[in-house]
Amino acid sequence: MSALIFTIVLGIIVLYLGFTKNKAILSPVAVAGLGVSLILSIKDWGLGSRYFHDMILLDNFSIAFNISMIIITILIFLFGVDYYETMDFHVAEHYALMLFALTGAFLMTSFSNLIMLFLGIEILSIPLYVLAGGKKYSYRSNEASFKYFMMGSFATAIFLFGIALVYGASATFYLPEIKTYIAQFNGHLPPMLMVGLLFILIGVAFKVAAAPFHFWSPDVYEGAPTLVTAFMATVVKTAGFAAFYRLLGMGLLPLPAQLEKALWVMTWLTLLIGNLGALKQTNFKRLLAYSSISHSGFIMLAMLSQHNSSASVILYYTFVYSLATVPLFIIFILMKRASDGHEDLIIFRGLYKEKPWIAVLAIVLLMSLAGIPPTSGFMAKYQVFVLSISQGILLTTIFAIVMAIIGVYYYFYVIREIFTDREQSNSIVLSKLNAALIIFCGIAVMAMGIFMWRLPI
Amino acid sequence: MILLIILLIPFITGLSLAFFRNGKTVRTIALISTLVNLVLTLTLPTTVPASTYSAEWINFMGIPFSLGYDGISLVMVLLTNLLFPFIVMAGFGRDQKNVPMLNCLILCAQAALIGVFLAQNAFLFYVFWELALIPVYFILLVWGGDDRKAITLKFFIYTLAGSLFLLFGIIYLYQLTPGTHTTDFAAFNQLHIPAGTQNWLFWILFVAFAIKMPVFPFHTWQPPTYKMASTQGVMILAGVMTKMGIYGALRFLFPVVPLGVLYWQNLVIILSLTGVIYASVIAYKHTNLKTMIAYSSMAHISLMAAAMFVLNAYAYQGLIFQVLSHGVTIAALFYVACLVKEQTGTTEMPQLGGLKNYAPNMAILFLIILLGSIALPLTAGFVGEFLMITGLFQQSIWFALFGGLTMILGAIYMLYAYQRVMLGDKKAAFVKANDIRALDYWILIPLIVVILGLGIYPQPIFDLLKPIAEVFSGLAP
Repeated sequence: MSALIFTIVLGIIVLYLGFTKNKAILSPVAVAGLGVSLILSIKDWGLGSRYFHDMILLDNFSIAFNISMIIITILIFLFGVDYYETMDFHVAEHYALMLFALTGAFLMTSFSNLIMLFLGIEILSIPLYVLAGGKKYSYRSNEASFKYFMMGSFATAIFLFGIALVYGASATFYLPEIKTYIAQFNGHLPPMLMVGLLFILIGVAFKVAAAPFHFWSPDVYEGAPTLVTAFMATVVKTAGFAAFYRLLGMGLLPLPAQLEKALWVMTWLTLLIGNLGALKQTNFKRLLAYSSISHSGFIMLAMLSQHNSSASVILYYTFVYSLATVPLFIIFILMKRASDGHEDLIIFRGLYKEKPWIAVLAIVLLMSLAGIPPTSGFMAKYQVFVLSISQGILLTTIFAIVMAIIGVYYYFYVIREIFTDREQSNSIVLSKLNAALIIFCGIAVMAMGIFMWRLPI
Repeated sequence: MILLIILLIPFITGLSLAFFRNGKTVRTIALISTLVNLVLTLTLPTTVPASTYSAEWINFMGIPFSLGYDGISLVMVLLTNLLFPFIVMAGFGRDQKNVPMLNCLILCAQAALIGVFLAQNAFLFYVFWELALIPVYFILLVWGGDDRKAITLKFFIYTLAGSLFLLFGIIYLYQLTPGTHTTDFAAFNQLHIPAGTQNWLFWILFVAFAIKMPVFPFHTWQPPTYKMASTQGVMILAGVMTKMGIYGALRFLFPVVPLGVLYWQNLVIILSLTGVIYASVIAYKHTNLKTMIAYSSMAHISLMAAAMFVLNAYAYQGLIFQVLSHGVTIAALFYVACLVKEQTGTTEMPQLGGLKNYAPNMAILFLIILLGSIALPLTAGFVGEFLMITGLFQQSIWFALFGGLTMILGAIYMLYAYQRVMLGDKKAAFVKANDIRALDYWILIPLIVVILGLGIYPQPIFDLLKPIAEVFSGLAP
């Protein structure tokens, strides 16, 4: 809890630091502050404290996810040093808004009451609507912001409607109580409760960009400033899945048959649309958007396997996915700068020739996303498949494997471009900090694959 | 411990090579490392109990890092370590871009291949299996020939697709193991899986190996890949990587799903023999030397696949022996094909001919290797194929008849190709073609010595294989 409060205060401090007109101090302050949040979070480990009449339950599950999100945010802020240096707009807001969104994410991992989940999603989303429009004079960015806002608020409304219906049926917002209430029906739920639960699931599925509620994500990812896209693809996704899992694990499992079927269909669609959609993309940000949709599918597979280690597998999966995605966005920014602002896949041409080591790391990161051993991306997929197969879910697993094969195509398409020579090019400028961070991420992605871990959460 | 050293020498040398600049130093270091590895392999004890190495790795998934070997693994490791010095040497004196990275990848491929053959744990096996693919992919992508981008991507996705089904199979077997699950081969071999499950699990596991070998109809990635690959790339691919498929099938199919093997036995043999005829006919009709050799390799591998499934001791001994001899022969053949390409700038046979007049020594060496490939007595190929056909004969006379066509058709297309490449009138276009250099002798002569030596005195290998072949033939009903 202290971590959450500290992060909010930190956001306000960073916001006011913006008045000093000194960009250089923002990032160190934000990073140092997040370091403190990290320590405060770690101190809560194992306590299982409850706040606000049990509306927040800060158990190991939420702390583990919080820590993973703080680490990724620190990474994004460190990359931000170089990214925001060239921007001529006020950047204090960006840091502050990301911190506010992070506090929303904290709530999403630790709720045990639907109202708290709603608050979390809103606190996460509203800063993101603003952040997506961060490039004021770009049509794309404005479009992204508007689209995200419209669709997001629509999803929120459905979600809220769902909460109201569930409350109407069960007269409670508390997940454990909802669970006991559902259990008494033995799978034959009254229509009002059923619709309510479905609407709640739709609201959460929207946040994690699960098909068929994924339509916003390619456009928003493309339009938003790249660092914000990185934030959305990683931290927001992690928070979304933590909330999704908590919702199911704490309140809704075992799911009534109809809802379970709906979620399975969602998983199939997410895998299918994510991977097939990515095949024909020429814009790298859109490619990563579809790739992120397809990863949602794999995480959903782990979630629906309902194994008692699902939570830790999801944590591992989202963390290594984030760790590979963030530096890829940064490499993309570097390449974009070197090619006059184009965003096509062909901007990766010449990377190997000019910066062979960065190219090697980019390949490691892409292979991790594609799930090639011995990177951690492979270990994550392996764990997911172990869960699903041990629960007897064979056909869906085979389907997911086929989709993973398709996934290899588009990641390796980028690798191919990295090895292609470029006709004429500006040189790729790489700051020392960025190089160090990319190297760190690449090594971390390899190391966590070779030394796979599992937290008892 | 020695197994770990054999595994780590190429890996660590390979990674450190990437930091060098001077091409000549890099090649020398790579050669020394592969030679040291070969010597270490030759000192491995062949008696039971073999030396093993085991360490804790991922405990909560039941995955130890365990290395060990039996007769089959030993032959495979021997083949790998025998070929890699020559593969490294094939780069000497040639103009290649980014030599440090190339040799780094070659040595990493070697390490991964050794890992595949030594792994005693299915998960470890799978990791090395995929790991072997990655350096080869980049060797083909960066140092390959025309149209390499599309072909390498097809190659990669094709083989990876098979592997992922293998992964599914491994996980399925993992969750069948009793107690706290494990992926050790030893535990897999103890499983008693119902016959109905074995029948479908067989294909899940077999597809990966069938693609790697390749067995008809999973072969379509192979000829274009071999054609465009660089000399070193194709020597790794054809010499060692195809043997991964055979090794994997021996490790996974026969001990784990024996009922599935019996159920599908005849179908797989028929498919393989179809492959023999199919590949031989195409090899005869094809006009490109490298593609021709690729199809000839497929024909021989198909015969090996057929022999694998007849489940008797002759066929097994012949199979493992042929693994060694085919690996050496095909690597030498492709090396000669690349020499031809260097001297004439083409491998299209209608444009070739009369090369003997300018390069007589090359023609002689080519002929000897070629005769080894068509299994002439006193070459290693003869011993292997003779035993395999004996094995097929015990199953059915028809199998033996079609299997025997490998040799007959092989002689036809190989000699026809030789005629078109080496014999004939002098061609003005090849006036500048030189005979082979001193270095090429260093590569080809030792390989020929191995081919002839194994053909004349094959007993050491059989001593190595005897216990294994008896175990495998015990599976037959």
